[in-house]
Amino acid sequence: MTALADSRPLERPHRPLTPAAALLTLLIIAIAVVAAFPLAWMVLTSLKTPQETMQVPPVWLPASPNFDAYVKVADVVSIGRSFFNSAVIALVTTAAILVTSLMAGYAFAKYQFRHRELLFALLISTMFLPPIVTLIPLYRIVGYLGLTGSLAGVIVPNLANAFGIFLMRQFIKGVPDELIEAARVDGASEFHVLFGIVAPAVLPAIAALTLFAFVYHWNSYLWPLTVLQGNAEQYPIVISLSRLLSYNRGAMNTGLVMAGATLAVLPPVVLFVILQRFFVDSVIASGVKG
Amino acid sequence: MLAPATGLLAVFIFVPMLLTLWLSLQSWSTQTGFDTARFIGVQNFIDIFSNSSIGRDFKAALVNTLIYTVLSVVLILPLSVAFGLLVHQKLAPGGIVLRTILFSTYMVPMIAVALVFSKLYSPTEGPINQVLGWIGIPAQTWLSAPQTALGSIVLLNVWQQVGYFTVLAVAGLTQIPDSLYEAARIDGANPVQRFWSITLPLLGNTLLFSAVIAIINSVQVFEPVALITQGGPVNATNVLTYHIRRVGIERAQGGLGSAMAVTLMLVLIVSITALFAFARAREARRA
Repeated sequence: MTALADSRPLERPHRPLTPAAALLTLLIIAIAVVAAFPLAWMVLTSLKTPQETMQVPPVWLPASPNFDAYVKVADVVSIGRSFFNSAVIALVTTAAILVTSLMAGYAFAKYQFRHRELLFALLISTMFLPPIVTLIPLYRIVGYLGLTGSLAGVIVPNLANAFGIFLMRQFIKGVPDELIEAARVDGASEFHVLFGIVAPAVLPAIAALTLFAFVYHWNSYLWPLTVLQGNAEQYPIVISLSRLLSYNRGAMNTGLVMAGATLAVLPPVVLFVILQRFFVDSVIASGVKG
Repeated sequence: MLAPATGLLAVFIFVPMLLTLWLSLQSWSTQTGFDTARFIGVQNFIDIFSNSSIGRDFKAALVNTLIYTVLSVVLILPLSVAFGLLVHQKLAPGGIVLRTILFSTYMVPMIAVALVFSKLYSPTEGPINQVLGWIGIPAQTWLSAPQTALGSIVLLNVWQQVGYFTVLAVAGLTQIPDSLYEAARIDGANPVQRFWSITLPLLGNTLLFSAVIAIINSVQVFEPVALITQGGPVNATNVLTYHIRRVGIERAQGGLGSAMAVTLMLVLIVSITALFAFARAREARRA
């Protein structure tokens, strides 16, 4: 599985461009500019003065870039608290998903038991279930557990995840049986085999799942909004941000909105840029091998 | 080893799934326990397809979601193949940079996408109408008029998602053996012919997988609607995830909301089954 690593050689430098290649390059640049434009506009606007954000026609570059909007955001919503809540949600959920996915993926890849394929198919089918289908009863169940309005209510229903199980099974299948047998002969417990032998052998998959889970749960909006029920103390950053749009009845708030959005975008995007290799490999694994 | 994951998925996905099915046949307020539910047969389904305001709102949301999904898939799939070819080709530099930029938008929280686009789309202060003006296209109403609001949300969705599908397309492209292209080149096929006779047919499975994921992602659209349009103007952007949550959670009509969720599930199952049948029939015709 790890052979799926980026197979592209480094791009050849200093190769004379043919007309066709020049045209392709222009096309690539044009698409990249359009794709990057909204985020570039977001950052630029967050550095403008309120007057600049209101001008018609719009000005593109701030005359004297400043961080006033960022300071103001901290006044309007409790940014620190929201970041903390987002971090708790994303980190706890991710850690739990890693453990439960490794365990189940190991069992599905290396154990023989009755109805294995049926059970696997059943679990994986939940990957394709839109969350809205179970939202209403889930809201009630979390109420029965006494978790409505709390971070625990946001976290607990997401501790296991079908995509994680699928990804881990795909990668653990590629770990040689001899490696596992040898550890068992030496008297290692199954947990030791899993976390001491198997897990280190599938580190790229662990990295990918870490990032997927972190980004998904950092960005997640529908479930926290539903379960937190207006308890602003517990809001993650994405919900706090939604309040910026109505700030000052929508007037003169563009810089604020852009500063807040920039802050919320940073953790997932920075994480992605650092570790994108693993994302790409696992998307390929889930698509091609699925 | 299996117990934690299986147990969690059972309690938090399978049990709720079964409860949704059961609740769709009950009169039940979401604010009360499940024990207060009262069996009313298929009355909820009759209501959501009736000509009352309940029925009209639901059917509008169903149609809006259908339009939104079809437009998203129809835009995302061809773009993902085109961008995939640009990332995959080795003639010109920049493919990997393009992939990084496209895929990084997929990491941006939808709520931030919605915030940013609500300002980009601003008819007077937004840069999009300004740029359109430079090339002689009149200012558009975007999110502020019923005719253009849903399409505007489709576009921001395409912007956010296309990178993910581009990576899937690249994965499909790397699976096509170079020898096939060599053989076609020797037979004198030009690049356009090679695309239609080799690339596109051999991308079939990738495109099928992409279509399924794109459909499932599309019915989940929520943030831009909840944040910017609240289903408006005049119900133009009232989509199912937003509508079901509004009915089932905010108005606490749990039975009605569940009937809507079951209907969504059935429509999804039928569409995806039809998609697979269509793909298999094409495969058979080719063989």
